Amino acid sequence: MLNIITCFKCVIDEADLKVDAATKKLLFGRAGYKISTYDRHAIEEAICLRERYGASVTAVTVAPPSAKKCLKDVLSRGPDSAYFVNDPSFSELDPLQTSSILAAAIRGHMRFDLIICGEGSDDLYAQQVGPALAERLEIPCTTCVGKLAYTEDKKHVIAERRLDDGIETVLMPLPVLVSVLPGINTPRIPTLKEVLNAAKKMIFNLALEELGDIQGPYSRTVKVVAADTDRRGIRFAADEEGIRSAVNALSKEGVLLRVL
Amino acid sequence: MNFQHTEEHQLIRAGVREFCGKFVDPVANEIDQEPRFPSEIVKKLAEQDWLGIPYPVQYGGAGSDYMSYIIVVEELSRSCATTGFTLECHTSLACYPIFKFGTEDQKQKFLTPLCRGDMLGAFALTEAGAGTDAAAATTAAVPDGDGWVLNGSKIFISNAPVAGMIIVFAMTDKSKGTKGLSAFIVPAGSPGLRIGKHLNKMGIRGSLTAEVLLQDCRIAKENLLGQMGQGFKIAMTTLDGGRIGIAAQALGIAQAALDESIRYAKERVQFGKPIASLQAIQWMIADMATEVEASRFLTYHAAWCCDQGASYSKEAAIAKLFASETAARQTNRAVQIHGGIGYIKDQKVERLYRDAKITEIYEGTSEVMRMVIAGSLVR
Repeated sequence: MLNIITCFKCVIDEADLKVDAATKKLLFGRAGYKISTYDRHAIEEAICLRERYGASVTAVTVAPPSAKKCLKDVLSRGPDSAYFVNDPSFSELDPLQTSSILAAAIRGHMRFDLIICGEGSDDLYAQQVGPALAERLEIPCTTCVGKLAYTEDKKHVIAERRLDDGIETVLMPLPVLVSVLPGINTPRIPTLKEVLNAAKKMIFNLALEELGDIQGPYSRTVKVVAADTDRRGIRFAADEEGIRSAVNALSKEGVLLRVL
Repeated sequence: MNFQHTEEHQLIRAGVREFCGKFVDPVANEIDQEPRFPSEIVKKLAEQDWLGIPYPVQYGGAGSDYMSYIIVVEELSRSCATTGFTLECHTSLACYPIFKFGTEDQKQKFLTPLCRGDMLGAFALTEAGAGTDAAAATTAAVPDGDGWVLNGSKIFISNAPVAGMIIVFAMTDKSKGTKGLSAFIVPAGSPGLRIGKHLNKMGIRGSLTAEVLLQDCRIAKENLLGQMGQGFKIAMTTLDGGRIGIAAQALGIAQAALDESIRYAKERVQFGKPIASLQAIQWMIADMATEVEASRFLTYHAAWCCDQGASYSKEAAIAKLFASETAARQTNRAVQIHGGIGYIKDQKVERLYRDAKITEIYEGTSEVMRMVIAGSLVR
């Protein structure tokens, strides 16, 4: 049976964020937490594979203790158990630190054939944790996966990578790490029984001291401010001339490279 | 006192909101305008385990509590009152009496498929001459061989055209007044059962409401629900719980009116600034929010009493009275904030305004709620 690990991040729900008009500072006062969107697709993919081939699915996150509120949510989406690697110092980790902690936790405590990560997180979208984790675990990795299949007898996965200039299909023997794009599936909404069942599943807490040497940090967040998205208020007609002037306006802004 | 929902309740709410965003919001207007019964959504409600939320897993339910059920009704109604009410009527009025008063056989045969969503249920108490005054019912049931024969007609029966079974109240001894009323489970397709014409309503237009006609309608002896003469008690107990459901429906409608008002007031520019910056609008929004919050706590309190096993008849009536009248007031204010556009079809507030009214009427009018509340205080 396959052992699948799916990594997820608990992020601030951007819908609840407010911006201070004067300072452009983000106000987190009433913000709730949610599972990062890409990671929901990673979890769903693990559950789809379990339904097709049979597997044990373990969810794992590295976070401060406050992220505990995402665990039942994650478990209601199908994983059999969750590892909660937590420490108060884990609140603003950079991707290399996160991957280092994940690698230590996985190597020391979990079995795996396949690790599925979201392509990036809703907040940072650095797209680094997956590849860095694979590197530390010394297993192959493929990113931008839009379709994933598993061949039971040969024990390998076939992944379709959605790249800018086409689709690349790669075949990899297990163990392997993949990071997935949202197009790969539609995460299901947990049924009521799944929500109630989540409370009966095992959550394993791992503390910093159980992990051994952790590297980093390699970067430090100096300041976070809201991005300005001012509108120009330019109107274009829906005819040939209008389209031409819209394209010209966009290229003047440097958004489009070629002029019609 | 604990004013916070459990993690499970929060997850259930988040799930319903996601569900509505995906499946209900996009068609809510069409359900109202055509109008049409949302059978494709009902099928999905079953897949989510939402058609038998507070009933045991052994009978196909989700094995959850009343609060979870109330949250689901609230959030569904916030998106589409027809959908919220279809679930409410099924869960409170059809499933509950069988769960509470049914035999083990009746639970296996009827409650289980109801909770699983294999069929919907309906509840037929009201008659042309017997609304609030249930003792005036003229539908009669007489024993005949190894069964019962029912004659009479019921009106305003929600879900009847799509129901797999209907709980029908009929007189077994007219001389005893309310003590002569009994409850029966009438499966769809029973000989002599006919569903009359679908009524063209002001609001909750997608919900199917029809007459139930019984002409020498024959059902099995074991389809008597509870004891002979227990019908009035079954009806009143069922409606007590149902009222919390209607309070939740009204709460969802009122919340939607508030949501729409805030959104529109921030968008709509008059005198060079959004109308949300005008005190006249702000005060309306503040009053709306205050009353919606009060509805919310009354409704949750009634559900909490129910989950605690405490008596909840008065609490349910208070919640239903306040929440339904709040919904009517807030949807009125929401149309006012929208101005002319709020009077136009296709605007959500126009639909909410019509949907809100029924919550002051069905499962006990506001006047009956006041009778129940006063009765429990001055008795």
